Amino acid sequence: MISLSDFKHEHSPHSIAVSVKDLGLTYTTSIDKKPTLKARLKSLGRGKKHTRIVNALSDVNIDVHYGAVLGVIGSNGAGKSSLMRVISGIVPPTQGRVEVYGSVSTLLALGVGFNPAMTGRDNVYLGGLAAGMSREEIDKNFDAIADFSELGDAIDAPMRTYSSGMYARLAFSVAAVVEPDILIIDEALSTGDAKFKEKSLNRIKELRSSDRALILVSHALATIEDVCNEVIWLNKGTLMARGNPSEVIAQYRTFVNARKSASSDEDV
Amino acid sequence: MDKPVVVYEPFRAGMPPMRDYLRTLWGRRTFIAEFSRSELREKNYGTVFGQLWLVLNPLLLSGVYFLLIYVIGGSSDANRFGHLTATLFLFYLISNSLTGGVKAITSGQRLILNTSFPRVMLPISATVIALFKFVPTLIVFAAIHLLIGLPYSWQMLWAIPIFMIALLMGLGMSILISCINVYFRDVSSMLPYLTRSLLYLSPILYEASSVSDEIKSIQIANPLFYLLDSWSRVVVYAEAPTTFGLLHSLIWALAIFIVGTYFFLSRERDFAVRL
Repeated sequence: MISLSDFKHEHSPHSIAVSVKDLGLTYTTSIDKKPTLKARLKSLGRGKKHTRIVNALSDVNIDVHYGAVLGVIGSNGAGKSSLMRVISGIVPPTQGRVEVYGSVSTLLALGVGFNPAMTGRDNVYLGGLAAGMSREEIDKNFDAIADFSELGDAIDAPMRTYSSGMYARLAFSVAAVVEPDILIIDEALSTGDAKFKEKSLNRIKELRSSDRALILVSHALATIEDVCNEVIWLNKGTLMARGNPSEVIAQYRTFVNARKSASSDEDV
Repeated sequence: MDKPVVVYEPFRAGMPPMRDYLRTLWGRRTFIAEFSRSELREKNYGTVFGQLWLVLNPLLLSGVYFLLIYVIGGSSDANRFGHLTATLFLFYLISNSLTGGVKAITSGQRLILNTSFPRVMLPISATVIALFKFVPTLIVFAAIHLLIGLPYSWQMLWAIPIFMIALLMGLGMSILISCINVYFRDVSSMLPYLTRSLLYLSPILYEASSVSDEIKSIQIANPLFYLLDSWSRVVVYAEAPTTFGLLHSLIWALAIFIVGTYFFLSRERDFAVRL
């Protein structure tokens, strides 16, 4: 919960940016999608359980250094997003400790805080403020955001009139101007058409610098291999491997293929 | 090595470090303003007719009750109409704060799951919206006050602290109910009955002085009773409020605010997994 403007200190390259120690995360979620007082009263005294425990992460240890671009891979439900949420302080850990040495900006989903009834212009402010920028910072960067989104005059039209590509483009543009110490991006790169995708990827590459740490979650293995200098692979909440991108990705591919053939055997 | 800027450790139902929390909250004030503005804009309050509606709605409401009490009930006392509108409008500040607050957290799911910010911002912005809706009604009341020739005096300055108490109470209620609704989602469907009961239990359609002492002693349990009575004394009759009335509402407002905020702040880190 640190706003971006609060911390602008220098980081020596290779100093630690995020340290995750023995991290465990179990969710206690209610079994009902919508817990109600009525349901609670009805089951009073019957000893019925209302919550269930989900193991999202266990014993994860990672250090991310400044200058690193860390890729996070793994199949659906591996705990990637949970890990990102813990690092960005959205979800508290159940075990262990996470230390963050700098300002964090998260791009976990596109268009967070956007209101479709407002114009693109208003939403740039809304989204920027939601991401922790100050009004002055947005004023200063507004033209850059508008240019980057390539929306032209449509920026003054209400966002409900946008196509999903336009929506995603504006959302990414807002996020792309934030220049935090630590940037976490969760599958937000696959937006817009091929041209815009490349443009956003280039922007990510521009953001790589020795006094910044980037954490990238993606299923696009080629992109991860291209951009990152370190990769971790999560499976069912545990850390399977970390290290050189091409090696970890190769291991992951073998694992996925092995599992695939095993399941195809079962079908026979 | 630098000291860590933030450390995240296992959740305990305890208060977050208050100084940091308040500092972050203050740093986010422009977001609260912009967020509230966009919510209002979404409901068309950005347009001329939308804003007109903000004035028209309280006018029509008081018109309905005017019909009920003076035309059907047969009373013809201008003061009572003044009392009705003044208290009704202040009541709506609180009840709008409650109705806006109840879903503040549950409907802010996307924001909560993807951004880290002091969650209390959401119910605060519900109260800001209620406040925004209250301002035009104040102007309507000022006009009514003038038209029906209600008295003026310096005692009316008491309206300022009473209004602050009302705002604090609305804020406290909004924070408390938004938190409760995370755990029990049906609270939002029960809320209309709660606000309706509060409306009838409070001295709006009648005056506090017309209530028997027996009922008055029960009304100590009603947080709004003496608040609305004090408001009416001050803005309608231009009298000073009673010390008891002022203290009663202040204590209730503080109690609701403190309990609500404690409840909320100690639980808010748990919200993300409950949504």
